Amino acid sequence: MPFCAAGVRASGAAIPHGTVELIAENQWIAAGYSVNLGLHFRLEKGWHIYWINPGDSGEPPRVEWHLPAGFTADAIEWPAPRRLGTSSIVDFGYEDAVTLIVPIHAEAYLPAQQTAQLAAEVKVLVCREMCLPGKAHLSLALPIKSQPPAPETKIEELFSATRKSLPRPAPKNWRFSIEGANESFVLTVSLGRKITQAVFFPLVESQIDNAAPQKLLAADSGFRLTLRKSDQLLKPIEDLKGVLVLSGDQAYLIDVPVGKLGATVTDNDIGIRSAKFMEEGQ
Amino acid sequence: MRRWIRFTTLVALGLCAVLPNMWAAKVGDPAPDFTASASNGETVRLSDYRGKYVVLEWHNNGCPYVGKHYKSGNMQRLQEEWTSKGVIWFTVVSSAPGKQGYVTASEENEYLAKMHAAPTAALLDPSGEIGHLYDAKTSPQMVVINPAGVMIYSGAIDDKPTTDLEDVANATNYVSLALAQAMAGMQVQTPSTRPYGCSVKYADTSH
Repeated sequence: MPFCAAGVRASGAAIPHGTVELIAENQWIAAGYSVNLGLHFRLEKGWHIYWINPGDSGEPPRVEWHLPAGFTADAIEWPAPRRLGTSSIVDFGYEDAVTLIVPIHAEAYLPAQQTAQLAAEVKVLVCREMCLPGKAHLSLALPIKSQPPAPETKIEELFSATRKSLPRPAPKNWRFSIEGANESFVLTVSLGRKITQAVFFPLVESQIDNAAPQKLLAADSGFRLTLRKSDQLLKPIEDLKGVLVLSGDQAYLIDVPVGKLGATVTDNDIGIRSAKFMEEGQ
Repeated sequence: MRRWIRFTTLVALGLCAVLPNMWAAKVGDPAPDFTASASNGETVRLSDYRGKYVVLEWHNNGCPYVGKHYKSGNMQRLQEEWTSKGVIWFTVVSSAPGKQGYVTASEENEYLAKMHAAPTAALLDPSGEIGHLYDAKTSPQMVVINPAGVMIYSGAIDDKPTTDLEDVANATNYVSLALAQAMAGMQVQTPSTRPYGCSVKYADTSH
């Protein structure tokens, strides 16, 4: 392991078929500043953990923070997941290694102390063919100083790599529409270039059929993605929210109203003339 | 006709993978009939139980979500409570041979005895046929069928999708809710939920 700086990296705790450790992007924290902590999971080959929406089975890791007075934790920032599983049951999650970033904020006035003991109780389900629940108690002593926190260079790389896989808002000039057909939602995206690979991960459970292949119609300046509705979707929905991953590694957070009148992205908008069908998720 | 067109199109595209899902029954549909071998040696046909409520419980003895309901005694309590009210309760094991959770009849009988489980019978579904008919995705996924043979509930056992034993006490049990509401002549208020648990371990060739 290339990381060895004391105080920013606690030793990894064992979970079934892997480890989890609590890491910090900075060497110390100061009053009024925020520091990113990371839950760094490493898994044996073939084993996986889950995204915030686990898909057809499993559950996401849960974390309960135990922080000193004056410190608060944000929600987990989830990197884009992968489709895992067979063709009839598909889960969303992570294999090999993943870092879940959690920003921690220090209030402007902290009680006098030299170190902040940041602790997390992690519950995680680790699955391959079988599933094993794991628990880990992690803690990290971060020095409190008066000057702004300095990055811990080697660990910072891990955080910056993770940040690349976090979904970001779509560029303002992209246009989206979703139409609900009988059995599917059709997502149309106009973005001014050709996309030959697109996968949608729903943030809300039971809206789309996780295991159904996502059919991509690639056009000159955009694409259409057909998403089969979930059998558990009994009422119409107002919007479809989720992560759209383009070309395998560009993740965007989208929230598109369903069937909004006059908002349809047309064939012309995506340059449909040379369109080509492709399948994702097979 | 429309279904047939879609079917041939899919076969032409080589997408037989999604067929089990497309043909699976949904809540409100007639419950698909099946014949299965029970671990007690009997042969069970679902349609023989027309006139009674039937519960299907997807089971895998190595799944921690299933373990939560058996170690806490919750599943056994539900089985006893509802079978004493005339409900037929079938535990269904759809793990394929060689897959996790696969059991022989005697192994399943041993498990039922050890856990003091009280289903009407445990059905062995190593081909995954029943699982695919009902689109069972997880253990413990639950299905409730009414006396007219219509599916009135499919989904999770309760509203706490965790492996923690302490969550059982505070959970809303969807199976009990569906049975109680239907028996009282009411509409089932939550007829379909996302099932939680471990994925059903079907044979690799069956999808």
